Amino acid sequence: MIRAALVLLLLVHPAGAEVMSSVVAPPQEGSVIREDGLAAWDRVHAVVSHPRCANCHVGADNVPMWSGPEYPQTGPHGMNIDAGDSRIGAETLPCTTCHVTSSAPANGPNDAPAAMIDWQLAPVEMIWFGQSSAQICAQMSDPARNGGRDWIQLAEHLRDDAAHGGFVAWGFAPGGGRQPAPGDLQSHIDDVLKWGAAGQPCPG
Amino acid sequence: MELTVNRQRHQIDAEAGMPLLWVLRDILGLTGTKYGCGIAQCGACTVHIDGVAVRSCQIALADVGGEVTTIEGLGTPDAPHPVQQAWIDHQVAQCGYCQSGQIMSAAAMLALQGEPDDAQIDRIMSANLCRCATYPRIRAAIHDAARRLATG
Repeated sequence: MIRAALVLLLLVHPAGAEVMSSVVAPPQEGSVIREDGLAAWDRVHAVVSHPRCANCHVGADNVPMWSGPEYPQTGPHGMNIDAGDSRIGAETLPCTTCHVTSSAPANGPNDAPAAMIDWQLAPVEMIWFGQSSAQICAQMSDPARNGGRDWIQLAEHLRDDAAHGGFVAWGFAPGGGRQPAPGDLQSHIDDVLKWGAAGQPCPG
Repeated sequence: MELTVNRQRHQIDAEAGMPLLWVLRDILGLTGTKYGCGIAQCGACTVHIDGVAVRSCQIALADVGGEVTTIEGLGTPDAPHPVQQAWIDHQVAQCGYCQSGQIMSAAAMLALQGEPDDAQIDRIMSANLCRCATYPRIRAAIHDAARRLATG
């Protein structure tokens, strides 16, 4: 029985597919005190400011970054890469030329990272790279700059992206020996909800 | 697994995770596409999938979702693609190893860009390395090919 279930699972998700399951269970709004909300935010910030996430949450120059322990120094993505205003490289070199869309993680040494959705930069208003904790907090709690989401929808976005093998899943399991974002998906979602239930308090 | 390469359909009997580059070279015998670095850092293995430049060392057979064009299918010796003809006229190649990837990247770029300026060429072609440093001739040939494509 277990064996049959495993075979079925492997058929649904090919070996190595980075699909992550999680649940969104929001606490009652206002049930989390501000202090605990700020502590949850600090953990959220540790994730979103991690290079696995922030390197592609860049500003209007549309240039992804190479930073983190895998790189001797922080700098723009090699090869003169410019993702253009399209944020997918449509005007220049598509991100997917090297970062292929794949059901399997790029686990080979130095393989270009791959996800199950087309590689791209985050929307420009969602800049995280080089931003302070307070700046990122303000952006994430502003529906005009976070994709029109309230705090529960932010958590649902994380759940849904990961369920499709998107960049949230990739950030926690990037493969190829890369350092993952701290913690795990479920803890991250729970922290976003805790922060939201406290009224999305921001530091400073 | 079915794969269309250079407008021909093939039934490929290979592991789903085999890189497309291996399929092209070792199974289909299309050796014009070169293995350079194997990690998407040099561009030598560039092919087109539905017209978009893709590093064939990075994409697994199971993930190929469109029609593949290699250097052998871009043009023919009798009817070369304008980029190939410009490459010949400018005698771009030195050792030649990277050149099929350079040509495939240039052709994909010109399909999107029309007539790029030097800065655009440098930006877009920076991910294709040439150890012989034929870059000035590559740039000249791209300008020439762009003019040919514009005039039909």
